[in-house]
Amino acid sequence: MFIKNTWYVACTASELEALGDKPLGRTICNEKMAFFKGPDGQVAAVEDFCPHRGAPLSLGKVCKGHLQCGYHGLEMGVDGKTVQMPGQRVRGFPAIKSYAVVERYGFVWVWPGDPSKADVAKMPVFEFFDNPAWAYGGGLYHVKADYRLMIDNLMDLTHETYVHANSIGQPEIDETPCETKVEGDQVILQRHMQGIQAPPFWQMAMSANGLDPQAKVDRWQICRFTPPSHIMIDVGVALAGQGGFDAAPEHKAYSVVVDFITPETETSHWYHWGMARQFKPEDAALTDKIRAGQGGIFNEDMEMLQLQQANISQWPDRKLLMLNIDSGGVQSRRIIDRLLAQENSSEITA
Amino acid sequence: MSTTDLTQTPIHADGSFEVHLQKSGQTLQVGKEQSILNALQDAGHDVPFSCSQGVCGTCLTQVIAGTPDHWDMYLTPEEQEANNQMLICCSRSQTARLVLDL
Repeated sequence: MFIKNTWYVACTASELEALGDKPLGRTICNEKMAFFKGPDGQVAAVEDFCPHRGAPLSLGKVCKGHLQCGYHGLEMGVDGKTVQMPGQRVRGFPAIKSYAVVERYGFVWVWPGDPSKADVAKMPVFEFFDNPAWAYGGGLYHVKADYRLMIDNLMDLTHETYVHANSIGQPEIDETPCETKVEGDQVILQRHMQGIQAPPFWQMAMSANGLDPQAKVDRWQICRFTPPSHIMIDVGVALAGQGGFDAAPEHKAYSVVVDFITPETETSHWYHWGMARQFKPEDAALTDKIRAGQGGIFNEDMEMLQLQQANISQWPDRKLLMLNIDSGGVQSRRIIDRLLAQENSSEITA
Repeated sequence: MSTTDLTQTPIHADGSFEVHLQKSGQTLQVGKEQSILNALQDAGHDVPFSCSQGVCGTCLTQVIAGTPDHWDMYLTPEEQEANNQMLICCSRSQTARLVLDL
């Protein structure tokens, strides 16, 4: 069961663009969808099911804004109604589902639930996209694990020492306790380390911002979960004693780790990860370097999660431990469960 | 013997009607729960059909007399109003008798 009346990232705009006249087939929240550009160039999504013989429409191609089925040439419109088919009258053809879709921030967002409830005003707002003071780079992983395992992972800052021992882990991470709080529908998990040596990534960022990379810093990690499954992690360093996260811009270097987690099935998800940074935004080579580094780090998580899922699937009745270090994930899942219950009760009364 | 023209008489209260096949001269009874297509098949007539839900047009048949009750989504409203053709998989009759070009 998934929250469906909400916005998820389906793909990047460039992923769809790169397919040319081919549509993109993607399962989101157990719904098989075909994404394509309609006659006006706007991205649309319909059920990946030809009303003629059930063939996946995503195997077809896009002709003048219509999705042509690759089996017998039925042409599907953006609204799920058949437009035409060779030798056929199509007015009685049953419509298929169409989904509300919005292109924003370089991503295609989809509302897998009731399109009449789709509300663009409910889309999350980010200051760092489409902003020349920031640069963004990221990637996509298909992870064979329950999307909530990824939420648990990102809302837990303790695993770094072990999973990422050779990259972003540093001893102070284990030594500094985390704090978890819930504010409405948001879960905030944070760790603040005082007066430490900056790790290599942050030394590089400090140099880029004109700071002495050898200076002692205050380092922060602030994970913010918002439903359905977006996690933004403020990360950075400031010269020690300047206020940490709240220090003036000239004393710090910081970025946001961006995680859009989109359920595919009960045991798989699409993971759009990236980093938005405010240092050297014009440096495309740096964006590529960070992307490669981050991709390597998140690949370590992916390996762990997929094998964790395999274990859990083999022993579905085994109860797992929730320790103090897991409270970020526990609180996030609690919000998901509450919204799921709300959505299902409103469907029953509707 | 009645001289009433059943193709001008409203359908029976129980929803049944008769279909006369002009070419073979046969007359079939179509019950309330039965389609014309089913009645034809039960009587051994192999007529073209496919979707059985008034979409594809395969079973389109010319109407010689009587008034069809159109239930299909294939014919345009104008074509339905002309009452000279029908889809026998799902459409029925407004009159007690239909004469079809079969």
